Amino acid sequence: MLKIKKTKLNEFIDFLMKEYSVYAPVEHGKKTTFGKIESVFDIDHSIYNTTKSPKEVFFPQAEVLFKYSKDGLKVPERNEKPFALWGIRNCDTRSLKMLDSVFGDAHQHPEKDYFKDPYWKQKYDNCLVFNLACNEPLSTCFCHWFDGGPFDKVGSDVFVVETDNDYIMEGVSDKGKKFLETYDKAEKTDAKDTEKIEKLKTTADSYLAEKVDTKPVHDKLAKVWDEPIWDEISAKCINCGACTFVCPTCHCFDMDDEGKDGKGSRVRLWDSCMFQLFTKEASGHNPRGVAVQRVRQRIMHKYNYFKDNYEVDLCTGCGRCVTVCPVNLDIREVIKKVLEY
Amino acid sequence: MCNNAYIPIPMKVEKVLSENPDGSLRTFDLSFVNEEDKFDYMPGQFCEFSILGKGESPFGIASSPTEEGILKFTVNRTGSVTNEIHYLNVGDIVGIRGPLGNWYPLEKLKGKDVVIIGGGFAFTTLRSMLIYMLEHREDYGAITVIYGARNPDLLIYKDELAEWDKRDDLTLHLTIDTPVEGWNKHCGFVPTITEQVAPDPSAWAIVCGPPIMIKFTLPVLKKLGFDDKRIYTSLERRMKCGIGKCGRCGIGSKYVCIDGPVFSFEELKSIPDAF
Repeated sequence: MLKIKKTKLNEFIDFLMKEYSVYAPVEHGKKTTFGKIESVFDIDHSIYNTTKSPKEVFFPQAEVLFKYSKDGLKVPERNEKPFALWGIRNCDTRSLKMLDSVFGDAHQHPEKDYFKDPYWKQKYDNCLVFNLACNEPLSTCFCHWFDGGPFDKVGSDVFVVETDNDYIMEGVSDKGKKFLETYDKAEKTDAKDTEKIEKLKTTADSYLAEKVDTKPVHDKLAKVWDEPIWDEISAKCINCGACTFVCPTCHCFDMDDEGKDGKGSRVRLWDSCMFQLFTKEASGHNPRGVAVQRVRQRIMHKYNYFKDNYEVDLCTGCGRCVTVCPVNLDIREVIKKVLEY
Repeated sequence: MCNNAYIPIPMKVEKVLSENPDGSLRTFDLSFVNEEDKFDYMPGQFCEFSILGKGESPFGIASSPTEEGILKFTVNRTGSVTNEIHYLNVGDIVGIRGPLGNWYPLEKLKGKDVVIIGGGFAFTTLRSMLIYMLEHREDYGAITVIYGARNPDLLIYKDELAEWDKRDDLTLHLTIDTPVEGWNKHCGFVPTITEQVAPDPSAWAIVCGPPIMIKFTLPVLKKLGFDDKRIYTSLERRMKCGIGKCGRCGIGSKYVCIDGPVFSFEELKSIPDAF
């Protein structure tokens, strides 16, 4: 472990920017998101959960897959340094691992290398994640329901704790450890710092609401698939899709061509299973034409289908969907309802 | 960026054939523009067919791997991409991504009797399989084909149907929904005709058609005594990426694009929203 005075963070970020394109929580209009910073002053340190999740750094809301014209197809070249994420919370750190199992690998079909998504891989591979501990989790946080916690380090390269005067950093992965070794301006930590971290962790844990054991959710969902519980759950959902857009693990996308006169781009854009058109076929047939089917799909995908394939729930308990839902459809209540049914 | 599954390869339109009088169904033969782009495929696989500027849509490959050098697609004109595809002329260049998905269990079918059940313009990959099997005729037992459409015009590959009808190593049952003057074959929906024709349940059944046809044909096959493990079907869903990422063709924990489109009824039984 080593520590950096808060007043010296600028030196550290400058050092980091020599090798990396640094993304951190920034204000973006009335919203907050992970944006590329030019200096330490761009970082908004007051943000807990950015409105949009950091998935957007690696999987942008709109991304050009290739440009086309009379001369053929051209894939945009990426001439940027590797990415570093500063100030990402553990819920989001874990979400990136989940997305990597979808985009970055061909898990279910290891023999098919072309299933790996090159656009994701070129950004996500080699990135450096500075996971910032949550000293004061929000009332919407439920990471502890899904194997996470405010001081969890899983998936991070460097684990960072903000104390009264310092940032205390611990290399978690080899990549993270190596990077910290190259920085010679840090101070050493002592027993007092360890004590501080322990105290902060205890306080943070005390902020969390009661834990619900989510292990039985997977099997329970399989049992209630055809039950009227879904009518009750989906009754107030207006299918706006806001939850899926802010979700750090939702990864459904659309592919569309933009251009005219034989020139343009094929773009991929975030899409949502909440939308009726998502599955509507040209024939008019729609396997999920009714709202209740779509709400069920979202819940089933998160807590049952994904787990079948990757042995983990597709939810990190970040609470963004709880915050943005215009009709207060709280996914924690849905989980409880399923468990009680 | 090599190994990028999102990039279509260029293919040239070699032949355009209208399958029915109102021109709503057209078959396109495509050839590879670049030798190095050539790929191998199996009956049942599909491709994403791109019209740059309009988008892309998935279609089953209607040609058989034994028909070298070409890829055949039969396209129903129904949306903006298919509309644009219908405007294609010989010599035009289109984009193709594939081959995607799995294929019919041709290895397992070796030495077995096979019943092919198809409906409407979904006969495409079944044609691929049938041509393939006829090309390797000695590998398979009796072949029965039950193929239906709303009316005679909507049956595709009419010339080939006439040829197959003449063959003595293949039994062909054609049907239309309601009687039409001059039609001397079966009348009635595919599930009904399947029940009437009653193929021997020791055979393997391959079913492909609109969802409603599949839904009603499976119980008939069950009733006839077909084993779930020996009934295969090819599913269709709206798709974008074709490589298991975009999330749209999910049925339960499977994706039609990478885990299918060909599934055995045994597999589908445990998936609640397959049809």
